[in-house]
Amino acid sequence: MIRTAFVGASNASRTLLRRWNSRTAVIALVYVVLYVLLEWLSHVRPRLALGITPWSPQAGLTLAFLVLYGPRWSAVTPAAVLLSEGLVRGTLVALPVLLAASLWIAVVYGALAAILRHWELQAPIRTAIGAVRLVGISVGGTLIVAAGYVGIFVAAGELPASAAMTGIARYWVGDLNGILTLTPLLIHVTAWRECLRRLRTHPWEILAQIAAVILPLWIIFVLPAGDQLRFFYLLFVPVIWIALRWSLPGAMLAVLAIQIGLIVAAQTHIPTPRFIDLQFLMLTLSLTALLLGAVVTERAGVLRRVAMREAEQRALLAVAPDGVLAVDASGGIRMANPAALRLFGERASAQQRPRLTALLPGIELEIPEGRATLDGRREDGSRFPAEIAWARLDAPANEGFLVTVRDATDRRRAEEQLRERDAALARAMRFAVAGELASALAHELNQPITALVSYLQASEILAAQFVGENDRLQTTLSKAAQEAIRASEVLRRLRDFYQGGALKLETVHIPAACSAVVRAFEDRLRRANASLVVRIDPSIPAVQGDGTQLEIVLHNLLANAIDAVMQVARPWRRIEIHAVCEESMVTLRVEDSGQGVAPDVSKNLFEPFVTSKPDGMGLGLAISRSLIRARGGELSFEPSRKLGGASFTVLLPIEIPPDTPLL
Amino acid sequence: MSNPVHMGDPTVFVVDDDASIRDALSLLISLKGLRTSVFASAEDFLAVYEPGWRGCLLTDLKMPGMSGLELQTVLRERGITLPVVVLTAHGDVSTTRAALKKGAVDFLEKPVDDDVLVDVLMNAIRIDGERHLAHVHRAQTVARLERLTPRERDVLDLLAEGLQHREIAERLAISPRTVEVYKARMMEKLQCHTLAEVVRIGAEVRKERSEQQVDDPARPGN
Repeated sequence: MIRTAFVGASNASRTLLRRWNSRTAVIALVYVVLYVLLEWLSHVRPRLALGITPWSPQAGLTLAFLVLYGPRWSAVTPAAVLLSEGLVRGTLVALPVLLAASLWIAVVYGALAAILRHWELQAPIRTAIGAVRLVGISVGGTLIVAAGYVGIFVAAGELPASAAMTGIARYWVGDLNGILTLTPLLIHVTAWRECLRRLRTHPWEILAQIAAVILPLWIIFVLPAGDQLRFFYLLFVPVIWIALRWSLPGAMLAVLAIQIGLIVAAQTHIPTPRFIDLQFLMLTLSLTALLLGAVVTERAGVLRRVAMREAEQRALLAVAPDGVLAVDASGGIRMANPAALRLFGERASAQQRPRLTALLPGIELEIPEGRATLDGRREDGSRFPAEIAWARLDAPANEGFLVTVRDATDRRRAEEQLRERDAALARAMRFAVAGELASALAHELNQPITALVSYLQASEILAAQFVGENDRLQTTLSKAAQEAIRASEVLRRLRDFYQGGALKLETVHIPAACSAVVRAFEDRLRRANASLVVRIDPSIPAVQGDGTQLEIVLHNLLANAIDAVMQVARPWRRIEIHAVCEESMVTLRVEDSGQGVAPDVSKNLFEPFVTSKPDGMGLGLAISRSLIRARGGELSFEPSRKLGGASFTVLLPIEIPPDTPLL
Repeated sequence: MSNPVHMGDPTVFVVDDDASIRDALSLLISLKGLRTSVFASAEDFLAVYEPGWRGCLLTDLKMPGMSGLELQTVLRERGITLPVVVLTAHGDVSTTRAALKKGAVDFLEKPVDDDVLVDVLMNAIRIDGERHLAHVHRAQTVARLERLTPRERDVLDLLAEGLQHREIAERLAISPRTVEVYKARMMEKLQCHTLAEVVRIGAEVRKERSEQQVDDPARPGN
């Protein structure tokens, strides 16, 4: 990591030189000036020539600067160090030694910054683990800086080896203190605006807190020199208070204020030998504030997230269309959402302490998850089909269940209506098939019967000519003719039965009829993997006619189209239904991408018993044409130019023409 | 396909696509003493039809190719006045009604009772005879009228209007005596013996003329 940072730093210096512009200059300049200023401010009784101070805010500044702007900026650090050495301390140490020491500081802090950025600590610290990482990195990092720095001086002969350990300890604690106090605060710069708002909302509390900081400081400094640090622990009280109230930024601000106060006081009031004690006490205070502040921040974040989640869940329950009940292990209702209250009435609300069994008698929540359909009881005692689903609640809310309840009344009624409708359609279809069959049969049989009757009557005449007046033969032939006529009468009655009164006139909405039929075919279309396009001119007026019969026709045409497209490969299975209105006619066209109709079949396509299907009766199109013609329309066939298969066109006059024989 | 047709004798022309029905009907009709001639389709009938044919046409309505209704239309277009009787399947009310509108004289429902069949056919043949007689009479009258001179024609017209000899003489600027001469010559040419007959022919001519004017308004009237 350090090597990387090293290479990174040299690369960075080259990049810096290349991209040298006014903004980088300002940033670097501000950093250097602040560094020197802090050095000057905190320059309190340095240890020998090492420039070791009780706390090093400039170390905190450097780390914050490198974390915020990136480790490549560590190229500027040696300049800041050298400048402050020269300006503030007027040091007498040889330049090469100082140079080596400042480079060492730059490299190590650059590496620390890289690690912290890796943990994404350039953003304000929001979790305890973030604070712990910062502390860990700072403790280790500053120890390395201190050891290297003091080592360089010892090696150069500027410091006796016997003083090395004390030097390292002081340097270490000073840097660590500076970092723990200042770095989180500087990284938190963006969050300071929040603190200012609190200053306005809670001025008295903040004033009290400031007093609580000043009071122990004052106590410490009016005491005699020997007892001063005995009351240092009093400072923990305001720091903890502030940390609990305002979390990390507030706590760190308080610590900064205390540190500044202590440093200022130390200039005059505290004897040098006690400095190391002061340093450790300050370090402990900073650590406490940092860790406690981070915990409080994290807790606030968690509380906010929980509150948000709860708000979401409340909203979800409020708008849920199904009733939701939270039930404890003994079957008591803890919570009911608005939909549940609508279903069961006010007695379901948790204040009434209702039992689940009162709402849903016979419910048994034995398995962890399940579904069931039960009789629900409304507030007025009436019953409704309730579709319920439940799940056992996870720990720590276990031993309870969440139950959803849906009123299936409407859906069942809709299903029932759909079933009835299908049944009516099927009945009408059977009737139409029988009618067409009777009609076709009557016609086909009537022809030979006609010939038969004529032959028999001719035979009567012939008998009279050749056999003479033979009563018995003539009577017999006459009876035979009468029987043949009777057979024809039976056929006529059969035909009339199926045709009579079949047409009832009502207002038919073409779009509704189409969508009803299409719905019935949804499954088959999906299985066939065929795409269906329905384009209906919305301005189509309602037509006069029999809705069921029109649906039968559409049903036949769509069924034929699906059978037709099944004969071609999948990607081209296409069916289109168009409906437009032109003048006084509605044109409804069903086209498919099937193989079309062979020319020899198409001549007799609408005759009964003509079919190209192995299991077909050949009545569908015959029936359809009869039904359409019966109300003055026409059904015709042509090859589909657009889709390549068949195209059937239904022409319906909006008003039934007056001379149509309504059979 | 077609039996030999004797010009002038009434014949029943049967057109039906069903061979059995054709055969049975022609047998029955011929046994009832009527001449028949059968055709398997309307096209066949039209192909061999000759203007001198007399009798009636008995045609099925539902046939492949030209239907009975279409055959009626073609007959009317060609000016063929042969009375048409249509054979209908039962319950085929709308087509039957259309056939009657197009001028069919009657219809028979299958299966056909022989007595009804003969009644209907005899009636149709009678209608044909009347139409023929009227046609012949008309042709004779027209031929006689053509022999009149313009002056005799004028006298005929004015007599038909109910004018007296004196008035006719005034209108035509001739003497009443001359009117008498024209009238005698005209009556001789028209083979009329009474004035009433003359007036009837004159009225027929007038009616025909006015009908022509209605039929063809573009033609100038005289």
